[in-house]
Amino acid sequence: MWKAVRTGAAVMAAAVLAVTVAGCGADEPTAGADEKATLSYAVWDKNQVPVMEELAAAFTEDHPNITVEVQLTPWADYWTKLRAAVTGGAAPDVFWMNGPNVQLYADNGVIMPLADKVAEAKLDLGVYPKALVDLYTFEGKIYGLPKDFDTVGVWFNKELFDAAGVKHPAAGWTWDDFKAAAAKLSNPAKGQYAVGANIAGQEYFYNTIYQAGGNVISADGKKSGYDDPATIEGLRFWTDLIKNKQSPDLKTMTDTHPIQLFESGKLAMYWGGSWNVTEFGNNEYTKTRVDAAPLPTGVKQATIIHGLANVVSAKTKYPAQAWEFVKFLGSKPAAEILGKKGPIPAYTGTQDAWLAANAKFNGKVFLDAVSYAVPYPVSRNTAAWNDEEFKQLTKAYTGEVPVEQAAKELATQMNALLAKE
Amino acid sequence: MAESRAQGRMAGTHGTLILGAAVMVIPFAWQLLTSLKTLTNATRVPPTIAPDWRWSNYAQVFELLPFGDQFLNTAVVAAARTAGQLLFCSMAAYAFARLRFPGRGLLFGLFLSVLMVPPALFVIPQYEIMADLGWLNSLGAIIAPGLFSAFGVFLLRQFFLGLPRELDEAARLDGAGPLRIYWSVMLPLAKPGLLALGILVVLASWNDLFWPLIVNTDPEQMTLSAGLASLQGQFQTDYPVLMAGSLLASLPVIVVFTVLQRHFIQGIAFSGNKS
Amino acid sequence: MVMTEEGIAAGRAAVPAPAPGGRARRPRRWTAEAGWAYLLIAPTGLGLAVFYLWPVLQTGYFSFTEWGPFGGHEWVGLDNYRALAADAEVRQALVNTLLFALLGLLGIPLAIVFAALLNRPKLRGVSVYRALFFIPVVTMPVAVAMVWRWLYNGDFGLVNQLLSVFGVEGPHWIADPATALYALVAVCIWAGLGYNIVVFLAGLQAIPREFYEAAEIDGAGPVAQFRRVTLPLLSPSIFFVSVLSVIGSLQLFDLVYVMAGSGQAARSNPAMPRIQTVVGLFYDKAFYTNDRGYAAAIVMALLVLIVVFTAIQFRLQKRWVHYG
Repeated sequence: MWKAVRTGAAVMAAAVLAVTVAGCGADEPTAGADEKATLSYAVWDKNQVPVMEELAAAFTEDHPNITVEVQLTPWADYWTKLRAAVTGGAAPDVFWMNGPNVQLYADNGVIMPLADKVAEAKLDLGVYPKALVDLYTFEGKIYGLPKDFDTVGVWFNKELFDAAGVKHPAAGWTWDDFKAAAAKLSNPAKGQYAVGANIAGQEYFYNTIYQAGGNVISADGKKSGYDDPATIEGLRFWTDLIKNKQSPDLKTMTDTHPIQLFESGKLAMYWGGSWNVTEFGNNEYTKTRVDAAPLPTGVKQATIIHGLANVVSAKTKYPAQAWEFVKFLGSKPAAEILGKKGPIPAYTGTQDAWLAANAKFNGKVFLDAVSYAVPYPVSRNTAAWNDEEFKQLTKAYTGEVPVEQAAKELATQMNALLAKE
Repeated sequence: MAESRAQGRMAGTHGTLILGAAVMVIPFAWQLLTSLKTLTNATRVPPTIAPDWRWSNYAQVFELLPFGDQFLNTAVVAAARTAGQLLFCSMAAYAFARLRFPGRGLLFGLFLSVLMVPPALFVIPQYEIMADLGWLNSLGAIIAPGLFSAFGVFLLRQFFLGLPRELDEAARLDGAGPLRIYWSVMLPLAKPGLLALGILVVLASWNDLFWPLIVNTDPEQMTLSAGLASLQGQFQTDYPVLMAGSLLASLPVIVVFTVLQRHFIQGIAFSGNKS
Repeated sequence: MVMTEEGIAAGRAAVPAPAPGGRARRPRRWTAEAGWAYLLIAPTGLGLAVFYLWPVLQTGYFSFTEWGPFGGHEWVGLDNYRALAADAEVRQALVNTLLFALLGLLGIPLAIVFAALLNRPKLRGVSVYRALFFIPVVTMPVAVAMVWRWLYNGDFGLVNQLLSVFGVEGPHWIADPATALYALVAVCIWAGLGYNIVVFLAGLQAIPREFYEAAEIDGAGPVAQFRRVTLPLLSPSIFFVSVLSVIGSLQLFDLVYVMAGSGQAARSNPAMPRIQTVVGLFYDKAFYTNDRGYAAAIVMALLVLIVVFTAIQFRLQKRWVHYG
C-alpha cells in the first residue's frame, strides 16, 4: 500500500487542480417593507420560545406578508454557531445580541447600524434604560433596540432556611450576614451546601468584585482591573466559600450544575438573575419553595445589569422587513406581551405586567436593583478575555494556585489581549 | 471426573460471560430507570431503584427539540448516504478489481490515501464549499460528502477480487460489455459485501456528530446526534431529561439491530476480516 | 479463512491484482475497457477529489494563514507553527491523544478473552451473548457519552453508589484530573468491545480444529495451544483491530465533547486540560474562537502523528503478524 499511497500523494495536486467549486452568486433583491418574506429570528432561551413565537404571530397579523421563524440555539452553542453561520453567509435575519458580543459584531460589519433608521422613524431611545442604550452604541451609532433587562439577586430555598433556623435574606443584608448564614446552611457530610460558587461572571464574581469596590475593566475599556486588591477580595469571596466547604467544589459542580443542585434541594441559595423566574416558576420543586432577595452589600451595594437587544444581520436579504420586525419588538405593545410571559421588558413603564405575571416571587427585588446596578463589563473582543477568565480562575477555584496569583496572571493576559484590540 | 471438570469449566465460562454482558447492559437499564425519575429522586444517596414513572421527562424532550424532524432528517441522511455509497463505490470497486486501464495503481493509491487522513483535515474546506453553495443548514450539506467513500471502494474491491474470474470471462465471451457485467453479473453476487457496507454506512451516518454539528445550526435541519448534544446545552445536568433524550435517539438503531442481528454481525465480521 | 485468502488488504491491497493473462496483455493505449473503467470510477473519483483530496491541500494552505473573526484570511508564513511549538495546551492535547491511543489498545486482550470464551465448542447462547456485547456498538456515541457521564457522576452516579457498598468512596471520575482520562478510556473500550469480539470470533472460527488436535497430540496444554496456535493465526485480525483502534483514538472527539460538559461547564471542568484531544482542540479553535489558521496547523500535526503511528504499526507487523 505504501508505494501506491506515495505515488498517489505525489500527483494528488495535479489530479485535483482542475477541480474548482463554483460559488453561486447571491442575488440581492431590494424588497419593500411589506413584500413577501420569511425572516429567521435566532434566540437562545428555551423558556422564551413561546413568547417569541407569540410576538412573531402578533407581528405577522399586522404584516401578513412577513412570517417569522423562531430558531432556538441553546446558549452553550449559540455564539459558536452564530459566528460559523455568519462566516458561511447563513446568518439569521434578526437575532438576539448581548453586551459582550455587540462591539465585535458591529466592528466587523456583521450587524446593521440602526441609527439612520431610528432617526427616520423618529423613535425615542429615551424609553429604554440608558445603560442599555450605551451598551449597544458603538462609535456613536446604535446597533440594536433593547429588548429586556436583567439584574442579579439571591434565590433562596425557604424550606432549607427555616430548617436551619436562619432568617430569610432581605434588603439591607451584608456580606457578613451572608457568610454567617452560609456557615449555618452547610452540611458537607450530607451533601448540603449554602451556595454553588460557579465560575460565572454575570451572576457570581462580577457582582462581588464591584461590591468589594474593585472593577473588571477600566471605564475606557483599555485596562484590566484584575490586579486591583479590591477585585481580588471580590474573587476571594467565592474561593473562601469553596475552601470552607460552604460551596461544592468545581468537580461536583462539573458533574452536576448548581442549578440542578438547587432544584433538588442541595443548595440553600442560588445567585441568579431575574430571568430565572420562568425556570423556577415552572419547576415543580422550586415553584413553592424558593424566593428572591437582593444581593448582600459589601463595601458597596452592586448588581450587574445587562440586557439583550434585537439586531439585524447586515447581509439579510430582507433589510426593510427585518427592521420593521425589530422596530415592532422594541415597541410598547411588544414590551407588554413580553412582560407577561418573558423577562423584564426594557421599555420603561411596561414592567408592571412582568411583576404581575410573576407575583409568586418577590420580583420587585430585581427592579429595585436598577438604582445601584453596574453595567456589564465589555470591550471590543470580550470573548477573548472571558476565555482567559475561565482558564485562570479555574486554577484559583480548585486551590491549585492562590487567588492573588491567578488574578494577577489574569490581569497580565487580559491586558495583552486588550492591547491587541 | 473429567466430565465434571469440563462442566465446571463451562460454568466458569458462563459466569464470566454473564458478568461481561451485565457490564454491557446495566448502563442502559440505569438510563431507562433514570429517565423515569424526578431529578430529586435521581440524585438521592443511597439511590432509589424504582422509577417514579415520570413520563413528562420524555414530553420535555419533544417540547424543546423538534425530535420528529430530527428523526426524519437522520433517516433521510442515512438512506441517501447509503444509496450513494452502494452505487458509486461498487462501480469504482468493480473497475479497480476487474478492468484494466492505465493509471489503475496510481488512482487506487490516491483513493487509499484518503483513508489515512483524519476527518478534521477535511472539514474547514468542506464547510467553505457548503457556504459557497449556500447549502449550510440543509440536509444536502450533511449528505454530500458522505456520498463518496474511499473505504467503501476498498471494501468492495476486496470482495470483487474474491469472486471467481471465470464468471466475467464467461459473460465476456457471451458478448457482455463491462457495464452489463458489472450490473447483472457482479452486483447480484456482491450482495454480502453490499450488505456489509450498507450496515456500516447506516451506522456511521446515524451516529455521526462531528460534521453535522459543524454544518447545521438550525435545529429543524439537525440530525439526532447533534440535536441530542444540544439538549445538554439546554438542560445542563438535568439527568432524567438527558437520559430520556438519549434513549429516544439511540433506540431506533438498537431496535433495527435486534431485528437484523445476524446481518449486522456478519457484516461486521466480514468487514473486519476482509480488510 | 477469508483472512488467509486475501491477507490484510491494508498490507497488500495496493499490489495490483495481476491482470488476466498476465503483464503481457497490459493495455498500452486507450481501449474501450479503459473508457468504461474511467466512467465507473468518475463519480467517486470526483467526489473524493472535491470533498477530500482538495480539502487536504487547502487545509495545508490554511495552516499558513490567519483568519479574521468572521472569515477572510491572510498569509502569515510559519507563524502558526511557531505558536504551535510553544503552546502548552497543544502539547498537552497531543500527549492526551497519544495516551488515549495507547491505553485504548488494552481493549484488545479483553476482546480476545471474551471471543475465546465464546468460541468454546458446545457453548450455548453464543448469539445472545454476542448480541448483548454488541449493543454499545450500535448505540449513538453521544448517547453513550451522556449515559456514562451520569454513571460517573461523583456524587449521585451508579458507579460510586456501587463502590460505596464496598465502603469505597469513588472520585469525581470525569472532573478529577487524576482519573478523567482513564475513565474516558474505559468508556472507549466498553463501547468498542463488541465490535472487536465479533471480528476476533470470526477469526477464531476460521482456525481449523485439526490445528488444535495436532498441538494436543504434541502435548500442548490450553495455554500453550493458545500461544502456539490461536495467537499466530489470529494475528492478522489483531493487527487490523489495533490499527483501527489507534486511528479511532487519535481522532477521538464525540465522547470528550459530551462527557466534559457543554460550553461553560467544560471550561470550568478542572480535568479538561487532561482530557482535551487534538480534534477537540481543533474544533474549539476552528469553530469556537474562529482561529481557523491555527486550527489547520493543529490538524496538520495530527496528520503527522497518524502517519508516523501507522508506519510504526506496519513496520512492527512484519515481526508478529502471520499470514497463512
